[in-house]
Amino acid sequence: MTNRIDRRVVLRALIVLVVAAAAVTFLGSLGSSAVASTPEVASYAAGATSDATAGITQANTIHAEAVSDDGSTETNRYLQQFVNGIVFGLLLALASVGLSLIYGTTGLSNFAHGEQVSLGALLTFFFTTQQTVSIPFVPVEFTIGWPLIPSALVAIVLAAGTGWLQDRFLWSPLRRRRVSIVQQMIVSIGLSLALLNFIQWWFGAERQRLSTSIDTRIDFGMFEVGQSTLWSVSISVICLGAVAFFLLKTRTGRATRAVSDNPALASASGIRVERVIRLVWIMATGLAAIGGILLAIYDNAAAFDVGARLLLLMFAAVTLGGLGQAFGALVGSLVIGVAVEMSTLWLGTDLKYAVALAILILVLLVRPQGILGRAERVG
Amino acid sequence: MLDILLDAVTALFAPATAAFALAAIGLNFHFGLTGLLNMGHAGFMLLGMYGYAISTQNGLPIYVALVIGVLAAAAFGLLLGWPTLKLRGDYLAIATISAAELIRYLGRSNSLQALTGGSTGIRGSDFKFTFEELSPLPDENITILFWTNHGTKSSSWWLHIVAWVIVLLFALLFWQLARSPWGRVLKGIREDEDAVRSLGKNVYAYKMQALVLGGVIGALGGILWALGNSVQPDSMGRPTTFWLWTLLLLGGAATVFGPILGSMIFWSALVIVKGLSSAFIPTSVLSPVELEPFSLVLVGVTLMCLVVFRPQGILGNKRELAFND
Repeated sequence: MTNRIDRRVVLRALIVLVVAAAAVTFLGSLGSSAVASTPEVASYAAGATSDATAGITQANTIHAEAVSDDGSTETNRYLQQFVNGIVFGLLLALASVGLSLIYGTTGLSNFAHGEQVSLGALLTFFFTTQQTVSIPFVPVEFTIGWPLIPSALVAIVLAAGTGWLQDRFLWSPLRRRRVSIVQQMIVSIGLSLALLNFIQWWFGAERQRLSTSIDTRIDFGMFEVGQSTLWSVSISVICLGAVAFFLLKTRTGRATRAVSDNPALASASGIRVERVIRLVWIMATGLAAIGGILLAIYDNAAAFDVGARLLLLMFAAVTLGGLGQAFGALVGSLVIGVAVEMSTLWLGTDLKYAVALAILILVLLVRPQGILGRAERVG
Repeated sequence: MLDILLDAVTALFAPATAAFALAAIGLNFHFGLTGLLNMGHAGFMLLGMYGYAISTQNGLPIYVALVIGVLAAAAFGLLLGWPTLKLRGDYLAIATISAAELIRYLGRSNSLQALTGGSTGIRGSDFKFTFEELSPLPDENITILFWTNHGTKSSSWWLHIVAWVIVLLFALLFWQLARSPWGRVLKGIREDEDAVRSLGKNVYAYKMQALVLGGVIGALGGILWALGNSVQPDSMGRPTTFWLWTLLLLGGAATVFGPILGSMIFWSALVIVKGLSSAFIPTSVLSPVELEPFSLVLVGVTLMCLVVFRPQGILGNKRELAFND
């Protein structure tokens, strides 16, 4: 309708933000003042004492390292974190574009999308590792040990195959039975629970490394980037470019956008909606797998719950960009990536995902349709 | 075989089962009565636990500590519901799940370590004593039939009794409220929000009341759970919320005994599945480490099948439960 933001909503959001921030600051000051006077507080903080002091010394050493790092190299911390954020955002975008496409064409908030990310990363590990591996319920252990690139390709194909399987045997029948969207969302939550534990069962709970080679870092003067990270970013940009080309220039891509816009009208104008949705599922899961593999290389390792942690970040990105808008997901991912990485300059690294969630909640309060979304009634 | 059966019966009446039943009653106010998609119920539980444990640690008496836990959850509900209750269902789900995760991240972060104990949490011995001092039971192990538990310590007979009495009280409260005029308005909101609005009811206020009330009950469930275990932020992550949904839908949403039955079946079924699969599936096929994920895969599949094939659960009424957007 209009782009005018309701003033009351903004006010409400601001108040919530201020109250939440005040609460966190208050708690934080409680925590830090207690930490500052450790000797006296030791008895009062009974249980956590030893852990707390351990935590403090650890934090101190980390801080010291960071400081000494700064002294030795001439990199600009702000710029470095900004670049890291862009890299992370581009990799996250691969996963969130898929989530957004699924939401756009089917209206489903797919909570199982995070597991597709982990699946891609760990399937690659499965094919590339030199360790013995096995498949659930099959009591045979064997080694595959392919090079990284063919393993990644096979993993992506397999992951995209799970997208086809899911749509063929689960989501498409549900749509035909006219199961409501909320019910489908809870089904996806069940699927995510099942997949998460299945992945843990298959690949174990440890963090697994995809490659053992040590990354050489390239110095750009103001910041530095790892060589494999540069490769990852280029692959990500190519993939995102391909998706953009597909959506804007090809016939099927236009059909996809038409289905996103209005499924009934698209169907009436002769677009085979079901086929488009099937294709979207295959693309989304394939992209998620690529994102998972690249993120695992970027982070050095991947665990079974890597996707589950990223899921809410993806939701944040997708919501920020506007649910269902493929390009919005890209913009949202970049914003979230930069916000997450920049926040570590001020907050602890263990709170960096919390920042993304705070942004998500704020966006839901102020502009639920997102930056690029159409203004529509959402409640 | 007999061991598995005994373990299953133990799980049937364990305090953890009661805690989950209580939290599910809270969720029943949200989803069963009002149709709110609260995917962050574990956040309410965690806040209740923190409120109770931290205030007990600082020397407050048990009743004050309980009130603080409850107030923390109520404030969280108000803060969360105020802006989000006007949004569509799936937006509410995303907002609540993120808020709950936010609480967990804050709780386990290093910066709040002195207060919350970071990722290790708060040990049971630091906050259970006020509850255990109230126990009228003797300070020794008591055996009833096959079951031996301590009289007052940790997951004691005392905790068993208190937990189930509280669960029954709140089931009674749910029953009374659900058939009160207030409850009928909530059900109306669940079925058709616009119709209720056109009757001149303030839908937003009713939803808020349901959210806060359910959240408070969730916090009490969290406190019960903590009394049997310890305060641990990572035990109240997203999976906990999803289990609550599974057991609520299993027992039957919008029914009085659904959450209780669901919780009992859920926990004893987990014990039985683990017991049977470790007894009958050879360890070369399914090693002991893999038992846990294997049984949780089954939980996920159960949730999917329930929602698709029997959304009303065991006790529910198909007409009563409509999933609305």
